[in-house]
Amino acid sequence: MKGAELLLKVLQQHGVDTIFGYPGGAIMPIYDAIYASPVKHYLCRHEQGGAFSAIGYARSSGKVGVCLATSGPGATNLITSLADAMLDSVPLVAITGQVSQAVMGTDAFQEIDVLGLSLSVTKHSFMVRSVDELASTLTDAFAIARSGRPGPVLVDIPKDVQLAEIIVPEFAVKPVQKAINTSLAQSAQARQLISNAQKPMAYIGGGVHMAGAMPQLQEFLAACPMPSVTTLKGMGSVAKDNPYYLGMLGMHGTQAANLAVQQCDLLVCLGARFDDRVTGNLQKFAPNAKVIHVDIDPAEINKVRFAQVSFLGDMRQILPAIASSTDCGDWLAHCSSLKQQHGWRYDHPGERIYAPLMLKQLSERMPDNSVVCCDVGQHQMWVAQHMRFSHPRNHLSSGGLGTMGFGLPAAIGAKLARPQDTVIAVSGDGSFMMNVQELGTIKRFRLPVKIVIVDNQRLGMVKQWQQLFFDERYSETDLSDNPDFVALAAAFAIPGHCITRKDEVESALEAMFTWPGPYLLHVRIDEKDNVWPLVPPGAANEDMIMESN
Amino acid sequence: MNHTLTITTNNEASVVERLLQVTRYRGYQLAGLQLEPLTECAGLSVTLTVCSDKPIHLLTSQLHKLYDVRDLQLVSADIAALRA
Repeated sequence: MKGAELLLKVLQQHGVDTIFGYPGGAIMPIYDAIYASPVKHYLCRHEQGGAFSAIGYARSSGKVGVCLATSGPGATNLITSLADAMLDSVPLVAITGQVSQAVMGTDAFQEIDVLGLSLSVTKHSFMVRSVDELASTLTDAFAIARSGRPGPVLVDIPKDVQLAEIIVPEFAVKPVQKAINTSLAQSAQARQLISNAQKPMAYIGGGVHMAGAMPQLQEFLAACPMPSVTTLKGMGSVAKDNPYYLGMLGMHGTQAANLAVQQCDLLVCLGARFDDRVTGNLQKFAPNAKVIHVDIDPAEINKVRFAQVSFLGDMRQILPAIASSTDCGDWLAHCSSLKQQHGWRYDHPGERIYAPLMLKQLSERMPDNSVVCCDVGQHQMWVAQHMRFSHPRNHLSSGGLGTMGFGLPAAIGAKLARPQDTVIAVSGDGSFMMNVQELGTIKRFRLPVKIVIVDNQRLGMVKQWQQLFFDERYSETDLSDNPDFVALAAAFAIPGHCITRKDEVESALEAMFTWPGPYLLHVRIDEKDNVWPLVPPGAANEDMIMESN
Repeated sequence: MNHTLTITTNNEASVVERLLQVTRYRGYQLAGLQLEPLTECAGLSVTLTVCSDKPIHLLTSQLHKLYDVRDLQLVSADIAALRA
């Protein structure tokens, strides 16, 4: 068989039945093999869209996502998606065609050094020089993508390798090699810190669910009662009925979460990395807290915040080992009081739609286990603040890279991974236009993705910063010449509706959810609405700006 | 402050680029580089000298997790300084 056919066989061997991509000259042998393969290929309308779909597929299912692109511009179009997967620790295998080795290095048509370009945005990158190496390289790529801290792996395959003949080699799926051996040597110290703490706080990131440690987390919080906060990627980790869950912390976190973290005397950091959007001014972050840090990536320990006790390895083993009873009733009562005192208000005056209330209504109306895929900007923060999720796999948001254009293609991948669940893309009018071509993919495959565009005719988050920190000089953030989004959807045979008033929201959501196919709901909001609270740059997290400031 | 790292890697075409990319991106200035293929040709011995005021563990932890890095050692003077 040819190398291209072998590639499809290896994908099947790894349990891959769904791939995303876009063909071109240097990857044509692989697309020829796809023609007769049981592996289902989803043709997207841009390589970035294909890769984001693979990311949405991976994040919503826990499987490895696979995307394909040709050489040159196809490969360069993948770079943003690879960076997104790198910063959000998404297991992704990206396969690129490359010009034949005979012309490599001659600036041939559509030749680019994608391996060189990929170095800073992948966990690892391979160039396959011989068809004899193809199966083992792909097997390594899958093992690297999913092991330890997951991430993207690029496999660049010259056309001559795709065309080369090979007798089917013996190969086996490698077991996932955990790079880190879990050590519990400091368990006693951690238990002592927890039981001695007067004001303990669990700070939960995306690493918990990626470790498959959701049950152990609930058991830990039950065994060691303490308040908890989550990062953007950790949302959905704590059971909805946990009374001491305070919400997201950080720049647009809840007041209760930020105030409580600043006051705590012990921070139990689980699968999180003290990102600058979380900590605000690092020197002033949780100033009285000792830290227990649990992570799978040794490079995260003591990277930005010193940990008195740290654990590397499998969260499922570590959490039970450090569980210890707490005696902090006054602190729990105080945090409950903060939560009550600083709850969200939805009594926004007037008839126009208030996005936080609309998203709360959406959250309450959507079926259980729905997947919400966000874009980036004000709507993304409103979703994090006002929607509730039962699992982090139900909330896909570009956290580390903050990539506008992520939401729509990610929703495509999520819908294909979980066809039984409702999938909603919540986008802004700026972000939506960044990968709007993927409406064509939704049309082609008749994917019943629900799309909600929160439209303030502005690049809202940038405008908010211009208002607050750049003397209201609104440079290049006006999008008042947006297209008619309902008409745009109609061009792709997707029905839609536009609403502008609060009293239209309930019936519009009902119409969207009861429509059997894809649907676009265009929600017009006031451009003056901003995201609150906001921790200004350089400030401590307790110094939040509120709407009334 | 200068630090010297001795690194054993797989002998892959892009391994040196990746070491240098991580070194640059993490904020360490290159002060010296020596390469030598290991006798069995399956590996590469790299001696990397870098200069920075940042703690060296912030670089070694990033380099150590690279797929092609098999072993990484700080020279003894650096280890002594870290322990001090």
